[in-house]
Amino acid sequence: MIELSSVIIGIVLLLLGLAIKGWLAARHLQETASATSEAYAAPPCPESFVSRVFSRGDWEFVRGLRADGIERLFRRERKKVALVWVRQTSLMIRKAMREHAEAARQSENLEFTTEINILAQFLILMVVCGILSVAIEAAGPLFLGGLARFAQRLSQRVAKVQESFQAATLAKTAGRIA
Amino acid sequence: MAVPDRIVAVEQAYDDLLRRSLSKIEGDLARLIYLASTRDYNTGKYHHDGLAARFQEEIAGQALELAHREIFGRIAACSLEELVDQVEIYVSSSRQSREEVLQVWQKLEPYRVALPVDVNMAVAQLFVSNIKLALAILRHRYQREELAASRS
Repeated sequence: MIELSSVIIGIVLLLLGLAIKGWLAARHLQETASATSEAYAAPPCPESFVSRVFSRGDWEFVRGLRADGIERLFRRERKKVALVWVRQTSLMIRKAMREHAEAARQSENLEFTTEINILAQFLILMVVCGILSVAIEAAGPLFLGGLARFAQRLSQRVAKVQESFQAATLAKTAGRIA
Repeated sequence: MAVPDRIVAVEQAYDDLLRRSLSKIEGDLARLIYLASTRDYNTGKYHHDGLAARFQEEIAGQALELAHREIFGRIAACSLEELVDQVEIYVSSSRQSREEVLQVWQKLEPYRVALPVDVNMAVAQLFVSNIKLALAILRHRYQREELAASRS
């Protein structure tokens, strides 16, 4: 019984650690105000981007060249690109959550289940960003395509939910003023 | 000019740009470099004498920006193998020796100015990384060719 509770506590702590890692992934982009505003203002990543960065197609091509120097360069460069994407995704999720919190403060009829659902998705995304960040730094992005695509889909869903929530709150506020 | 008229005018200018200028340039990378060169470094505004004479200055600028973004999107999305081919076309079309072009591109990284304004940060990083890799791959390929030629 004690062993089981230790395992559960361990898993919770691990997930918490990964969520914090995911939360902190954006810190490199937040170091300068211009980088943050750039990341906010920039258009979202195209769908094909994740497939390109995390796919093995380019890696197979590079491996076929049989040149160690180029293989090393490829691994280094792809790691850099993948980490920029993770940091950007983490930053965008944090932005969506901040905006959601602001909109929720102005809303009078919050739905408990919707709020819990959004919070759960946010936490899952932070854990996934943490896992991606650690795994990319340790081994590069080549085996993480599935997880990255999941993070991309979920972050898009969270952003859409937040946008529609914000629009509904604004419409209600405007209705009250009128 | 009303918004729908402006959109039509930009589309016409864009078609004109494709037909008269871009179709004569071989390869998307060369087209990208050409379009980036029509942008003022200080203001970020695009200018093309011929296009501005046929259309308004502002319309011509918007058409150039549109073409720049579109071609950049195509290059950023292509595979590394396709990009190596693009860089090879560009290097081969230059008047300088291909080794010289490769060396200068690796040192000065002039392709960084080919990024459109407000491009997604991760996509920009992928573009720069892929060009860096394509240059290294081409250099490696040329060195192998030279070695093979000297042996035979």
